[in-house]
Amino acid sequence: MSPALTRRGFVAASGSLLVALAARPASAAPGAGAAPLTAFLEVATDGRVKLWSPTTEMGQGTHTAHALLVAGELGVPLSAVAVETARPAAPFRRNGQMSSGGSWGVRAWEGPLRTAAAQARAMLLAEAAARHGLDPAALDIAEGEVRDGARVLGGIGAYAAGAAARPVPAEPALRARHPLAGTAVPRVDIPAKVRGEPVFCSDLSLPGLVHAWARLGPVTGGAPARIDDRATRAVPGVIDVVRLPTGAAVVATGNWAAIRGAEALALDFPEGPDARLDSAAISAGMTAALGRAEAAPAPRADGDFAAAEAAAARVIEAEYEVPYLAHAPMEPWNCIVRFDADGGLEVWAPTQAQDRLMGAITAASGLPAEKVRLHTTQLGGGFGRRLRDMEGMRDAILVARAVNRPVHFHWPREEELGQGWFRPAQKARLKAALGSSGQLLGLAIRTAGPSMVMDFAAPATPIREGGLDGTSVQSLADTRYRFGAYRLDYAMARFPVPTAPWRAVGATQNGYFLECFLDEVAMAAGIDPLALRRTLLAHDARALRVLDTVAEAAGWGTPLPAGRARGIAYVESYGSLCAEVVEASLADGRPRVHRVTVALDCGRVISRDGARAQVEGGVVQGLSAALGEAVEIRGGAVANRNFDGYRLLRMPDAPARIDVQFIESGETIGGVGEPPLPPAAPALVNALFALTGRPIRRLPILAA
Amino acid sequence: MARLSVNGRQREVEAAPDMPLLWVLRDLLDLKGARYGCGIGQCGACTVLVDGGAVRSCITPVETVAGREVTTIEGLGGDHPLQKAWIAAQVPQCGYCQAGQILQAAALLAETPKPTDAEIDAAMAGNLCRCGTYLRIRAAIRAAAGSAA
Repeated sequence: MSPALTRRGFVAASGSLLVALAARPASAAPGAGAAPLTAFLEVATDGRVKLWSPTTEMGQGTHTAHALLVAGELGVPLSAVAVETARPAAPFRRNGQMSSGGSWGVRAWEGPLRTAAAQARAMLLAEAAARHGLDPAALDIAEGEVRDGARVLGGIGAYAAGAAARPVPAEPALRARHPLAGTAVPRVDIPAKVRGEPVFCSDLSLPGLVHAWARLGPVTGGAPARIDDRATRAVPGVIDVVRLPTGAAVVATGNWAAIRGAEALALDFPEGPDARLDSAAISAGMTAALGRAEAAPAPRADGDFAAAEAAAARVIEAEYEVPYLAHAPMEPWNCIVRFDADGGLEVWAPTQAQDRLMGAITAASGLPAEKVRLHTTQLGGGFGRRLRDMEGMRDAILVARAVNRPVHFHWPREEELGQGWFRPAQKARLKAALGSSGQLLGLAIRTAGPSMVMDFAAPATPIREGGLDGTSVQSLADTRYRFGAYRLDYAMARFPVPTAPWRAVGATQNGYFLECFLDEVAMAAGIDPLALRRTLLAHDARALRVLDTVAEAAGWGTPLPAGRARGIAYVESYGSLCAEVVEASLADGRPRVHRVTVALDCGRVISRDGARAQVEGGVVQGLSAALGEAVEIRGGAVANRNFDGYRLLRMPDAPARIDVQFIESGETIGGVGEPPLPPAAPALVNALFALTGRPIRRLPILAA
Repeated sequence: MARLSVNGRQREVEAAPDMPLLWVLRDLLDLKGARYGCGIGQCGACTVLVDGGAVRSCITPVETVAGREVTTIEGLGGDHPLQKAWIAAQVPQCGYCQAGQILQAAALLAETPKPTDAEIDAAMAGNLCRCGTYLRIRAAIRAAAGSAA
């Protein structure tokens, strides 16, 4: 049965959904008759402000940072601003795409959002000035009121409708000083989350909605050879079984019937060429690529490493390896698809990449983009995984078409972890040439592994096979370190396990490779690890300040209780410089992190507590990857597809303390969501190396 | 037909006896605060209280809670000391796991009003947070334990 909604019923249903989606106290919801002043901002007659954010809120706090930027520039209290993710449109795109990634949320949108708020202010003041016969230059907005000096003319809502009819000034004057930038404000989305309100896509409901749960094939792909759904169809509540390109979906009146039905499905997949692929074969493939004779693309070839090696008193060499990592957001992929009676399509989805998802929606539905309304919900975590849900989106549309009803399509945890788009596995061979007094004469790094960009962009091929993937050498190719001679090359080694951006992308593995190898060099040369890094960065005052700040805050070099050691790491990514010191011990062979000290130079801080939370979360996620995370491939499929086998860090392994030092150097504003992650793993590994004298050249630290 | 008491209200639902409490709450009672994360009791996103103790509702058949008192995040009312502490400490990031974290903490404080850090870690070890808010969760539990005194 297709819900034959009247227009009124349709609007009412959408309206109630949007209220649920907005995740804010009702008191902050804009009232009726909100006037759009710019693409980003609407002002209601009661003075409340609606901000259409170009970013997805997935816990990184950009909706709060955006509200802060707008509230301060416009002149309203933060509590007057309600934020929702915009629908994809030109004003919300960066480089042609509406997408939340690359730690761009604040640094890319600070300018446009302050401009939008300044435009709105100018329009409101122009309207007020005209109405009261005053000079607009003498007026200002504060606390949501238009003021002429100390005299209050009225709330901004009184001028909103008239202001909306006025021209939008192209270059409005910004406030000389933003009153909120750099302060700690409470997150706008937290109260609803603490009350358990239905803010996630998985919480939404619609009249007539049925639930579909997927059972899919191995990560290496392929269509099912046989689907036996007899047991499934016997489950009470099951409506239908829909064949999908790589599996099937069970549709039922409720989630539990669909889950039971999906578990009862018998699916056979043909034994394809990848049916024997496993983690050992992938590791061997990367080792082969490390030793490949032909010239690999070399983004760095400074000086003559061969000569440095020939002149060296000592050469140190080591091989490092990391596994595939899953993003593992707590909310697995799900979305709601409703074909409407008027020929349109409405989709609710937890997406980080609205335009990419729209591409999947239009391709699967055959509808033009203007017939599609895409609502971005808040996300139960993203970390890059929700940048690419083309298959999951396509499958949801196939199911909705097949059953001709609005469908809530779900992946169980096993598919969320089992369908790939992982942080690539990668290896590196590093070689250091040391002079007779232990000084570094040169460094050579070859990395080998999958090309994330080729997987992620497919079927487009922005890189040729065997070419250079910049993300595979991220934070190595552009390092500020001066090693003397420096040779960096990359041997592409591709496997049928799709890879995608994972929080901090290539900086995660490369930071580990380089920073841990540097500690091996320091040990061999008899140099303090901080001193070695200070030497390699002696030419760069900004980087030295980051190192010195973290060292001082962490008490580097000061005595520690017996059985404890410190490790340091420094990684630059996403426009920010980050150094961390981990203080760790071993208890029955298990690492224990007592304290992490972070120094982050992100240029400027906008939303201070939000930035601090991102540092804390990045550190914990980095430590999680270091300690226990690895996707195991067995028989061409992911073997560890739930949290009993994919080991995320739990509270007992979390640091007792994380101390954060922001360095506001005034340089170009950098990212905050990703840069704190990469130094965490090498800083921990270096602490353990200092403790035991044994390097850890393969992650995770804890054996499976 | 199953009878249970949820947040102080007697409820009757058309559910098979083996239907997990999670789906009874979410699909039949429209209480969405307990969330699906793993389906096997490994992540704690579905945590609710049954007679004051924390259970994983995704693996708790509804028949086992007949005649017992179920409390979900919606039943804490919003002004619970833990909810206030969670806001004061600005704990959640994505927030998906936080209802389960708060209820797990409520069970801890009911049993151990002044937990040590080690007791907090042990009690909370079954609740995953991918965003990494563990330090703020600890701080919020400590604060709530102090304020409840």
